[in-house]
Amino acid sequence: MTEQIREFDVAVIGGGPAGLAAAAAAASQGAQVALIDRNSQLGGILNQCIHDGFGLHAFGEVLTGPEFADRYVRRATDAGVFLQSNTLVTSLAPSGEIICSRYGQRKQLRAKAIVLAMGCRERTRGMIRIPGYRPAGVYTAGTAQWLTNLANVRIGRRVVILGSGDIGLIMARRLTWEGAEVIAVIEKLPYPSGLPRNINQCLLDYEIPLHLSHSVTCIHGKDRVERVTVSRFDETGTPVAGSEFDLVCDTLLLSVGLIPENELSRRAGVVLDRTTSGATVGASYMTNVPGIFSCGNVLHIHDLADWAAEEGERAGASAAKYAEGIHGDAVVEESIPIRAGDGIRYVIPQRVSRSTDQVLMSFRVTEPRGKTTIRAISGKAMIGSTQLNKAHPATMVQLRIQIEDLAGPVEVTCS
Amino acid sequence: MNHRVITCILCPNGCELEVGWDGEPTTQSVEVLGNLCAKGISYALDELTHPERTLTTSIRVRGGVQRLASVKTVSPIPREAVVAARELLQPMVLNAPVAIGQVVVEDVARTGVQVIVTRAVASQSDPEQS
Amino acid sequence: MPRLERPTDQPIPGGGSMFDIVLIGAGVVGSAIARVLSQYRCTVAVIEKESDVGMAASSRNSGVIHAGINYAPDSLRARFCMQGRKLLLTWCDELNVPYKVCGKLIVAPSEEEVPGLRRLRSTGEANGVPGLAIIGPNEITELQPGIKAVAALHVPSSGIVSPYAMTLAMAEEAAVNGVTFLLECEATQIRPVDGGYAVDTDRGTVSGRWVINSAGIHAGHLAQTIDPEAPDLYPCVGEYLILDKQVGESLAMSVYPAPPVGGAGLGVHITPTTEGNVLLGPSDEYVSDPETTSCAGKTADQLLEEAMIMWPALPRHLVIGAYAGIRAKRTSPSVGGFGDFLIRQTPSADRVVHLIGIESPGLTAAPAIADYVVHEILHANEPLVQKPLSEVVHRPWSTRFDDLPEEEKERLVAKDPNYGDIICRCEGVTKHELLHALNNPLGVKTLTGIKYRCRATMGRCSGGYCLPRMVEILQEEHGWEPDDFVLRGPSSPAFAGRLIEERHD
Ligand SMILES: Cc1cc2nc3c(=O)[nH]c(=O)nc-3n(C[C@H](O)[C@H](O)[C@H](O)COP(=O)(O)OP(=O)(O)OC[C@H]3O[C@@H](n4cnc5c(N)ncnc54)[C@H](O)[C@@H]3O)c2cc1C
Ligand SMILES: Cc1cc2nc3c(=O)[nH]c(=O)nc-3n(C[C@H](O)[C@H](O)[C@H](O)COP(=O)(O)OP(=O)(O)OC[C@H]3O[C@@H](n4cnc5c(N)ncnc54)[C@H](O)[C@@H]3O)c2cc1C
Ligand code: SF4
Repeated sequence: MTEQIREFDVAVIGGGPAGLAAAAAAASQGAQVALIDRNSQLGGILNQCIHDGFGLHAFGEVLTGPEFADRYVRRATDAGVFLQSNTLVTSLAPSGEIICSRYGQRKQLRAKAIVLAMGCRERTRGMIRIPGYRPAGVYTAGTAQWLTNLANVRIGRRVVILGSGDIGLIMARRLTWEGAEVIAVIEKLPYPSGLPRNINQCLLDYEIPLHLSHSVTCIHGKDRVERVTVSRFDETGTPVAGSEFDLVCDTLLLSVGLIPENELSRRAGVVLDRTTSGATVGASYMTNVPGIFSCGNVLHIHDLADWAAEEGERAGASAAKYAEGIHGDAVVEESIPIRAGDGIRYVIPQRVSRSTDQVLMSFRVTEPRGKTTIRAISGKAMIGSTQLNKAHPATMVQLRIQIEDLAGPVEVTCS
Repeated sequence: MNHRVITCILCPNGCELEVGWDGEPTTQSVEVLGNLCAKGISYALDELTHPERTLTTSIRVRGGVQRLASVKTVSPIPREAVVAARELLQPMVLNAPVAIGQVVVEDVARTGVQVIVTRAVASQSDPEQS
Repeated sequence: MPRLERPTDQPIPGGGSMFDIVLIGAGVVGSAIARVLSQYRCTVAVIEKESDVGMAASSRNSGVIHAGINYAPDSLRARFCMQGRKLLLTWCDELNVPYKVCGKLIVAPSEEEVPGLRRLRSTGEANGVPGLAIIGPNEITELQPGIKAVAALHVPSSGIVSPYAMTLAMAEEAAVNGVTFLLECEATQIRPVDGGYAVDTDRGTVSGRWVINSAGIHAGHLAQTIDPEAPDLYPCVGEYLILDKQVGESLAMSVYPAPPVGGAGLGVHITPTTEGNVLLGPSDEYVSDPETTSCAGKTADQLLEEAMIMWPALPRHLVIGAYAGIRAKRTSPSVGGFGDFLIRQTPSADRVVHLIGIESPGLTAAPAIADYVVHEILHANEPLVQKPLSEVVHRPWSTRFDDLPEEEKERLVAKDPNYGDIICRCEGVTKHELLHALNNPLGVKTLTGIKYRCRATMGRCSGGYCLPRMVEILQEEHGWEPDDFVLRGPSSPAFAGRLIEERHD
């Protein structure tokens, strides 16, 4: 039953690292904060990421996903955040009204500022249109990770992994440890999309072959996966005739990309970026809808939970300020656009208000490169730059620039 | 001069280390290029002499709100001991509640390394904790 | 831990027992016949080889309620389409099955196709289809923005229906009214026995005084086991792409091309579904394997290309899935085009009735075909006795919680707290609906069966969120073991047992 509508300064939707950090940051500024998450255990995707590699940046220690999540849950609890798990937000109005649903209860609440931190979902077989039958045994890597690490279910015995994203690589090692045979990892691009360290410790250690410039071109088996056909792809992305070979397997895992979970946002009028599938935001992480902020994987896919949490902190702090009446971002029309130039896939934020004095930009390059210079240019003036020994699309890059007397739109390029 | 390219796994930078050495690899003989920090050097030497990895896996929980608790070795163990350590942990069952940091094994597979719980599992009879 | 009950645990009613009617095949046609028969005092067994009803053509089509513009006026297809459409709407209301009379546009991208539209209009008018009009670009844009065409035939009486909801709802109502469904039971032969006919299956023999063969693509060769003159059927696959509900928000009605001359289908069309998704398809390709459900990558590209001729701004990046259905065609590849439905009583055994070549518009026509078979063949031969209305149980399909107004949702949550627990975020499916789906009268426990009954795993994430939630609920609260999770049946296990053995302690 709906009870009386509760009011908060800030409501955070999603209790992964980004949401928890946002809620803690907002609460520590004195805001009254509610955080809502649909899962029974807070921490988001990290609860299933039982491998280590988290926290080096945020805590200077190597932690597993659940340990990392636990730290942020404690932070939010200590900061006095009203934590509501097992609760799904079903709708969000531009005015800040939220409807949520949980066992035995539909509930409304209202907040002066909203932080979107719903994370992402995985790209599926249907989206990448793999031809063939639709048997049992085709799973996205994250779902397989949940089934393996939380449900104690063995998803299969002979596994082929399509896509060299980090989740797929982590699962290759995990399943090998658990006695499954990982036949190969297949990647359509000429380079792996996961981090080099995961190639090393997840594939090389166990001599699991990685077929670059290859993809699965047919799934066989009407009932359960029996084998997959793999073909080589040329530079134009077309399969090379005669290059096909079959791999016998009972399971196909897909690690072919993540998509920000923006259904709620879209319906609340939040404008999405075609490249990131996340919101377009200003330097304070406010979307085009005043009072609605976005951070973490729902804004753009992060490779590191540490970065997602840091972004959450910044967005949460802005949301708390907004609730107090301090607006960091101007309306969209009066902002200066920030654009991705040559060699850059996207830049967050997509705009900056003239009144901001500096902005931290997060971005990715389009393809792997060696020594690289990143430049931020406005008009003819270079307003910031950084040197990288190497750059990889799998690794997010950050650059802070000062905003003074900008001649026009900011463009980030690399060379 | 021996030569190998090794990807450092100690942090997300994943530096590609160009490692060269004469004779037996030792602190003195090993030369490392491409490391962004000093840890890369000791990693390269370890990798040549006695590679180590952290094991992260699951253990059954009895009477918990979840079936599995996740566990890890508190520090890396010899790479060739990883699979043996996993096999030793496999038949173990913990009784709920299980707390983060709880020690599961003092010395796994004679590596001298502890295995600890990394995710809490509340007990079924104590639904307050989630 | 007790094993989940399986359909094969139910023994075949053997011995000397003889049903009044044995139906082979529980597609939309077989299920419609079962529903009509369940209102009479007679014993009925339905033999279905799959683990659930409606798993073949009946759940793998366009879901379009055809108006009757494509069929020669004196054909059975025209007759049953016109009658079927009317009955279907009534049945949908009775069974609470989602449908919408949204109309259809058949578009001519260039002047060349306009005469084809006129031909369709006159066929339709001869069949008695109301409201047909050929309209120009402005009116087209008014009805459906974004469509590029010089002219279109507007067919206002056409519509859409959820084909699997229709089939399942009919079968489930028949089951609660006493029809015996034998799932995972494949008929191999029909032969005469004393007092009737025996249907041999892979699980034993089921006998009936009447046998109705509505085995879809297999109806032809199954008929030939007792009726050598019965015609062959040619499998012709139709592939589809499914688009995200986002696309559905901007599609008001089905959009068809002018039909390709001599083609085996009606051409690649764009059609909304009752749930708000959009379908693109079907292709048409004759195949040798009548059970193929494989989709080709090339075909997917082709479907997009053809659809984009009509709708250039189609958001092709919003494809979320694909499927393929088999048409049971009477015309061989060399002949092409369409044959008519065939309803054939075996000359030497007139109580063995074959329904052969029930391709499009078989979904629309199913209620009329059922009505014809039961009343004009069975009843005319030996009068059936109607059950009193008070004895007939009404079993409506459940309205989706997600479609209800907020006040109604609150009322339901107050009634059963499980309505508050949303297990599938894409489709807004509640735990109540999951448990209701599992509690179906056919005893189906497959993941696909759950999907068709409550839409969990049917959304854009294909189960990324709800499959784990279902596993959690069924494992922890209902004692399911990994082996109990099967996709379509016992031969499609979802998992390979436990990761870490659980000694039961
Ligand atoms: C499978 C996987 C493996 C990864 N491995 C690593 C790794 O090894 N190292 C590393 O540093 N990073 C890793 N990452 C990346 C890192 O975990 C993510 O960047 C980080 O978790 C993102 O945090 P988030 O808070 O944005 O999203 P999430 O952690 O996904 O949290 C989002 C939360 O929002 C909830 N939610 C969504 N919609 C609603 C709604 N409508 N109502 C209520 N709640 C809702 C979700 O249930 C979830 O709990 C991995 C990511 C994935 C997906
Ligand atoms: C691509 C495509 C698009 C279509 N679009 C439309 C449309 O938009 N509108 C419309 O009105 N119609 C449409 N149709 C036609 C419609 O789908 C079919 O006419 C209808 O589903 C046929 O129903 P059925 O019950 O005869 O066959 P099926 O649904 O094929 O059912 C036959 C059943 O018999 C079972 N069976 C077969 N052999 C045996 C055996 N030996 N023993 C036991 N059981 C057996 C099968 O498992 C199956 O369940 C389309 C068809 C296709 C293929
Ligand atoms: S060398 Fe240092 S910076 Fe480079 S990956 Fe190793 S630990 Fe990280």
